[in-house]
This record gives sequence, structure tokens and C-alpha cells, in this order.
Amino acid sequence: MAASASVAIAQPSTISEHARQIDQLVAEQLKQVGQDRRPGIDDYAFCRRVYLDAIGRIPTIDELDGFIADQEPDKRSRLISKLLQDKGYQSHWCNYWADLFRVKYVGDKLHHPGNYAEWIKESLRTNKPYDQMAHELINASGPLYKPGNGATGFYAREPMPLDHLANSVKTFLGLSIECAQCHDHPFDVWTQKDFYKLAAFSSRTHLRVDPTPDLEKDYAKDRRVLKNKSFDEWIVYRESLRVKHAAIHGNGTGFMRLPHDYQYGDGKPFEAVKADVLFGAMPKLDHKLTKAELDTLKHNNFGPPINSRESFADWMVSPDNPLFTKSVVNRLWYQVMGTELVGPLGGLSPDEMGPHPALTEQLIAIMKASRYDLKRFLSVLFNSETYQSKAIALNASAPEYVLDGPIVRRLSAEAIVDSFLSLKTETPDQYVATEFRWDGFTNFYEKSQTMGVQDFVNYSVNGPGRGAFQKREEAEAKRRNGETGPKHLWRVSSYGHVDGSHEVAMLMGKSDRELIDGANEEPNIPQILYLMNGHLEQEITAQPLAFIHQKLEGATTPDERLEIIWKSILVRLPKESERALVSHEQDDLIWALLNSNEFRFAR
Amino acid sequence: MNRRKFIYSVAMAGMSLPLLDSASAEAHLPKAKSVINIFLSGGLSQYDSFNVEVDQSVVGKSKIIKSNVDGVRVSHYFPTLAQQMDKLLVINSMKSNQGAHPAGIYKMLTSYDPRSSVTHPELGAWVSKRLTTEQDSLPNFVSIGKGRAGTAGFFPGQWAALPVKNTSAGIDFVNRNPAVQESKFENRLGILDSLNADFAQDYSTKETRAYVDTYQGALKFMNSKDIDAFELENEDESIVRLYDKQEFSRRCMLAGRLVQRGVRYVKVELGGWDYHDNIYGKLRSNASKLDKGLSALLTHLSEKGLLETTLVVVSTEFGRKPEVNPNKGRDHHPDGFTCLMAGAGVKAGQIYGTTTKDGQSAAENVLDVTDFNATIAWRLGIDPAYEEKSISGRPFKLANQGEARQELFA
Repeated sequence: MAASASVAIAQPSTISEHARQIDQLVAEQLKQVGQDRRPGIDDYAFCRRVYLDAIGRIPTIDELDGFIADQEPDKRSRLISKLLQDKGYQSHWCNYWADLFRVKYVGDKLHHPGNYAEWIKESLRTNKPYDQMAHELINASGPLYKPGNGATGFYAREPMPLDHLANSVKTFLGLSIECAQCHDHPFDVWTQKDFYKLAAFSSRTHLRVDPTPDLEKDYAKDRRVLKNKSFDEWIVYRESLRVKHAAIHGNGTGFMRLPHDYQYGDGKPFEAVKADVLFGAMPKLDHKLTKAELDTLKHNNFGPPINSRESFADWMVSPDNPLFTKSVVNRLWYQVMGTELVGPLGGLSPDEMGPHPALTEQLIAIMKASRYDLKRFLSVLFNSETYQSKAIALNASAPEYVLDGPIVRRLSAEAIVDSFLSLKTETPDQYVATEFRWDGFTNFYEKSQTMGVQDFVNYSVNGPGRGAFQKREEAEAKRRNGETGPKHLWRVSSYGHVDGSHEVAMLMGKSDRELIDGANEEPNIPQILYLMNGHLEQEITAQPLAFIHQKLEGATTPDERLEIIWKSILVRLPKESERALVSHEQDDLIWALLNSNEFRFAR
Repeated sequence: MNRRKFIYSVAMAGMSLPLLDSASAEAHLPKAKSVINIFLSGGLSQYDSFNVEVDQSVVGKSKIIKSNVDGVRVSHYFPTLAQQMDKLLVINSMKSNQGAHPAGIYKMLTSYDPRSSVTHPELGAWVSKRLTTEQDSLPNFVSIGKGRAGTAGFFPGQWAALPVKNTSAGIDFVNRNPAVQESKFENRLGILDSLNADFAQDYSTKETRAYVDTYQGALKFMNSKDIDAFELENEDESIVRLYDKQEFSRRCMLAGRLVQRGVRYVKVELGGWDYHDNIYGKLRSNASKLDKGLSALLTHLSEKGLLETTLVVVSTEFGRKPEVNPNKGRDHHPDGFTCLMAGAGVKAGQIYGTTTKDGQSAAENVLDVTDFNATIAWRLGIDPAYEEKSISGRPFKLANQGEARQELFA
């Protein structure tokens, strides 16, 4: 057990009780449909599976051997606890949540999402409850680059408020209402007016990169002078001020206005609509104006801010919200088992309970009882027999009931690339950060807190200059971060805005974070060409310094060699039928295993 | 080798291939077989290139020179193209609703405003999906250059562009690793086959089969004669001589080679046009690349008899302001910018559309970017209103609300 664990997994006895509850319900359902329970998996298959699901890579051969050698009966649950406390957990699940929350560089105004990704990592390191994460995102405001305030990236990454609302609802409720943004939903109950009522909670929330008018007064004169004097100095002035002042403003006015082309009989273009929820209890809002009063004002007047966005966050994450808990449970089940517990990740409806309503009910109850502690919830799933049973392939011969265990599916792009690391080095997670990582923006933001108008002018005129301004801040940030290791030994999650996105992971189908659930697991020609002919040859297959080759150096017999290769890459022993392959050269075997379906599919 | 074709084998990888059914037989015979889209990301300054029919102050420091067509004048940055203007139609009335780069590029290439609920396919993906047949041996959407490779949007990934980052490297990893002999490679493939067959006994799914099939497709591609299309060393000396050695010129030559092999849509990227400052210091080198590369391409296609059937377009996400700013640059301006067309029967040697003399906005014959894309599709024989549904079931038309401007063709 990791003694340094900062957050203990609460009450192991209840975790196993919860796991048994799942197994019990699954067993009952199997009996009812006349299906046999799937066989359990051996320690090798379990070890591979839980490493991939908890920390996003295959185990190294040493980690595997250590687990196999363990003779204690509770070794599986101890491994689960250990992995959930491992820093690999943060790396793996950061990929997941950063995709869902679409952490990315956006457009001309927002220069980087670094602080946003750091917020996710910090949330995972401290095991922040999921409902609190969601609340912080929806209610985020203030300076973009203030260290720790990265939740603001949730708004900054999305310039259009109505799109943002549609995406928030899909992210947290699994509900697809984007059609209602422009017209009444063609095959669902949501009307365009419903959409605008919901949008009223967060109305007037926006990113402003430049200083607010009251502060701009102090900067305006020098801005003019510099603009006419030197383009480069003016740019440095503008950009450095933006790092200090870029912020999410507006906490919601509780009013929205119907669009200019509103076409239905229940409202007129530009008419004010008051905030209302899609379902459930309406939080109390403290409106300063009535709708009738606002209708007499100009079309661009949405009323004064009344902090309705916070009420919206309250409603969204409430345990009474029929979709909030169900959606996250549906998501995590899909992530771990590969099947839809309730329905499509982004296409649920409030009453839907999926093919096995009792199981859905139970998992919702477990999530609530766990107080949205994600590690605890995952621990319940991992400890269930249901999870620890043989994976099946969803094909023509698949049974009717498939919630009785995982299914065969391709690993995520990041898991494939990070699994290469387990073959390159014996310490694949060595360079996962354990604390906040600075970048040029957060670094300069901190400095800017004591900078006055004249300091910004000096910085622009006598400072590092336009070309070097950003680079110097990045270099300083890098020094503050200390030793971060060589990039080729980083997990995919460590790549950020400074270092560019991970090209090989993109090739494997990593989400570009434009859309929710934007990753894809399909093969394509460039990806296969990389796997066959790309850098893996120099990095692993024929690289004597790679960890797998170092292990092979210690092998004394051909059989031992074969075992090392199989355990390292496929995380199992060779089958009898595979023993004959021993005559092949080891780099050819390594190549074939790395290219095999077994390596890139979860089983 | 077995000539089971490349695209066909990819299509067999669990994805459906469109059959050219009767609905796709359009009302006219297509005049263009292929499109080469030279995309100038960053925003070409129309007033320092091909729209000089404005007030002298708007043209700034650019000098106006005559072309080989009476009544068509260009800026002095394009002396070589000036002698090819008989092959080009200048469209001076382009209009977009997007003024920032990412959104502008997205709009120009997909016909849609960027939305965060869906990604739209680029025109090249629509063309490829619509026109690919079992007989095709090369992918029908190739993107040459460092820019974002063409996205398939909500279409399956097989319709995304095949990326060629630069012409000297060619397609990434399409050749065997030099350290691995052919017999060794064959041996590896043999082991791989046995492993996959074994895995399939227990765990065969549509997805695992797609991988096995795509490996077959990739191997065929590696061994295919068609790879030769990407090897510029194999081009005729008479053609190579037309081009200079710059990378952009080589990209143009590659595009010419690809359409000769029947590739339907080739995007060639030339970025760097975003001159907010010192435009007259910086423009020259990029303009010269375009001037020489495009000129050579037009000659190349003419000599090979391909200009009749190839629509060459030069496009950009927006233009630049009529005023030169205090930093001697020009800022973004989406209302009244310039694109070019050549080949496939376009009314060459003419100017279509105008901006107001002060250069502030498109005036006559305004051509929205969606109309521009609709026109390209129409010339390929594809209905611009052709519709496909996204994953969530929302219908999208190929060119959004755009309509083909048939009068651009003779």
C-alpha cells in the first residue's frame, strides 16, 4: 500500500458491500434471462485490465511479476487501492475529464488552456468530489491565469454562450438539447423557449481579455502612445495586460431574450424570458426587475447580475436532479465496462433507466452514498466480480444481457501510447507532476499582481520584447517547475500548450477536444503505417536501452526470452501453441506483438 | 500484385462505400474531374494582389502592372502570373461572415460556421465520399502542407484527407523502416497474422476485423504502384523544369501529379499571409512563392491536357482591410476579398464581381464562401444541396445554403 496516499479510500468494508450488491443484481438478472455467469479472469488478465482502467497503461513486467508473486487472498483489492492512489491515476483520468471538458487552445483571444488542465489535475490529485468539480466549473469566474482558478477555462474555451449551455447540459446531464437552440426539438420535448429559459441562468457570462473600462482608463493613454510609436511595444503592452486582466465576467442576470428570428406563437423576438429549469425544483432567484419591466427596456438589456449562475450550478449538481448522477454513472460504467448502462453518453432522457433499471438504480445510490468520490466509486466497480469476469466480444454470437462484465474494445489513444512507456522504462509514471505546474501565463500573472501602469510600460519598452516576451516567461516557469524529465518519457497527459499536442496519440485517434466524446478508435492508413514502420522500431523494437531489452538481457533460455516478451507486451504467459514462435528473432516478436490486436484491445 | 484497390480495401474495413445510385446522376455532365484548392491561410491581401480596381489609396504601396489580358491588371508582386491571367478568373467579390482565422478557415473549407456540437466535413471529404468508386486506387482527398489536414467531420474517418506534410518526406512511414529487410518484414507479418487469427477465435468484433482489414489496406498501399504518384523524382524532366525548387512549387507539382492519376480533390496549403505589420516588407517572399508555383502548375496542367478537366482554385479565409494601419500592415477584412479560379471551362481572362472603390465592401455579384463551394461541387457534378446526416441525426447540406454560380463558366 502506498503509505504516502493523501486521501484514504473510505471504509473498505462498504466498498466490498457495494461491489457485492452489483454482483447480486447482475446474478439475479442472469438467472432471469437464463444466461450463465461469465467465468472469472486470472491474475494476469486482471492485472492488465485494472492497470489500464485505473492508471491508463499496461503494467511493467516487474509490476506484473510483483502482483503474481503476491500470495495473499486480498491481493486484488489491495492492488486496486494502490493504483487509485498512484500518480498514474491523475494522468489517466486527466485525459478522460479533459476530453469531456474540452480543454484546448481556442481562437485568437484565449491563448492557452494550461491553467484549465492544471485545475483538472489538481482536482484529481485531491480527489475532489465530482459534484464539486461540476459546480466549480459552472460557477467559475474571475482571472483566467490566476493559479488555481483554471475552472474559468470552462467558459473561456467557448466563445458562444448558447453553444456553451448546450455543451454543459450534454457534459453534466448527458442530455442533447442543442437542436432547441435554433428551433423546437424535432423528436424530443424541448422547445426553443425551454432552451432560452435555461440560458437565462448564465446570461451575460463572458470572457473579457482586456481590462474592464474602469481599469482601462489608467492604461488608455500609454496604449495610444505605444500604438503610434512601435507595433511590437504596443503588442507586448496589450498582451501583458491581458494576462493580468483576462477574466470570466458576469454571474447571470436570470433573464434571456428570445432571438431576433423567434418563430413560435408563445413569444416575440427579443422578448425577455425568465430563467427556468428543464425539470425538477426551480431554485429561488432574486430578480431585481420583473419581466414586464425588462420588456420596456432596450433589447440588449438583460437586467442586472443576480448570481443566477450559482443557482444553476446548484440545480445541475443536486442529487435530486434526475440526470446528473445517472449521467456520470452511465459515463463511468461505459468507460470501465464498455457498454451503455443507461443509454448513449450524450443522448439520455430523464426517465430512461436502461436495460437493467435495478442495476442503474443501485449504481446511482452507490454514487450518492460515496458522495461523488470518484476513486471510491471506481473502487466499487473494480472490486466487483462483474468487473473481474471474462470480457466478451459484441458480435452476432453475443448474448442478450451484456451488463454482466466488460466487452472487448479498443484502448484509448492515450492508453496505447502510454503503454509503450511501460516497455521503454521501468518507471513509466516517474514524470507525472505531483504539484501545480507553472507556465508562462500563470507565472506572469503572479508577477503582474504588483505591477502598476508604469511597470507595464517599462516591461513593454525595455523588457524582453515581442519576440521573447512569451518565451522568457515560459523559460522562467520551466525553471520554477524544476526537473520535469525528458519528453520521450512523459505520459501523454503531460503534453500541454507549451509542448504541443502529442502527435502519435493524435494519430491513434485522441480527441482534438472540439467536441464532447471526440476521440475515435477507428483504424486508418496513416496510423497503421506508423505502427508498422514508425519510430517504435528505434524506441522499443530494436532499442537495446529500452526496458524490455534490458529485461531480455537477463534471460538465460529461449523460453524465458519468450515469456519476458509476452509478459511485457501482452501481460500474460505464452500459450502452448505460441511456444513454437521461440525460433524467431526477438525484435520480430516484439514488432508483431506491438502490432497485434491483443495489444491494443481491452479484453 | 492483387489489384484489389486501395480505397476499396479501406472501405471493406467495416465501413460502407457509397454506390453511385441514380440519385447522384446530376442534371448536367460534370466538366471538372478534379479540384486543386490552393489555400492561402492567414488572409491574402486582395489589394496587394489581384484586386487593383479600387482607389489608388487602397492599393497602398503596391504597383499596378499589366497582364497578358487587356483590362486585367495585377500588383507587381505577381509578374509571372501576370503572363497567365488568360487562364485565370479573378473573383473580387468574395464575402465571409467570419473575421478570425480559425473560424474563417473553418467556414471557407466546410461552408459552415464552427459550432461546438458538431464538426462539419471539409468540401474535400464531401467530394471524396460522393465520387469514390471501387475502381479508384488512390484516396480522393489529399492534403499537402503543414496546415490542419482535411477533416472528415461527422463522416467516418476514412473520408479525411490523406496528409502529406511535405513533399520530400512524402507520406509518413509509407516505406519500410530502412533497418528492416523485406524478408524480415514478411516474417514479422507472418507472426502478426497468426497472433491476430488466434485472438479472433475468442474476440472477433467489427472493430478487430477493421484493424486486420486496414493492415491489409496499408500493406497494399505500401506495395502499390500508386505510391509512385507521391514520388516527385519520377516526374518527367520536361515537367520538373517548369517548377523552381521551393517547397510550395513542389507541392503544386505533386498536386498536378495526383490529379493526373485521378485524385478528385487536392488541397495545397500556403500559409503566412497574416501581415498585420510591415506588409510591404514581408509580402514579397510569400507572393513570389505563389506567383511561381501557381504559374508553373497552370502550365503543367495545360501541357498535360489536364486543365480542361481540372478546376484550380486559389482561396483564402478572408481578405485584408483597405487601410494600411499605423504599423504598415493590414488587418482582417471578410467583406470583399479575392479568390481565383482556373480550368474546367471557367471564364478565364476575366474579372468577376467588384468591391466598392473605397475597398470597404463587396459590391457587384457578391459571392458568399458557401456559394463559392457550391460552385466547385456543381462543376464536379455534385448537387450542392446534397444532404447527409450527422451522428445525432441532424441533416447538413454539402454547401450549407450556398448556390452554384453557373455563370462563372463558359
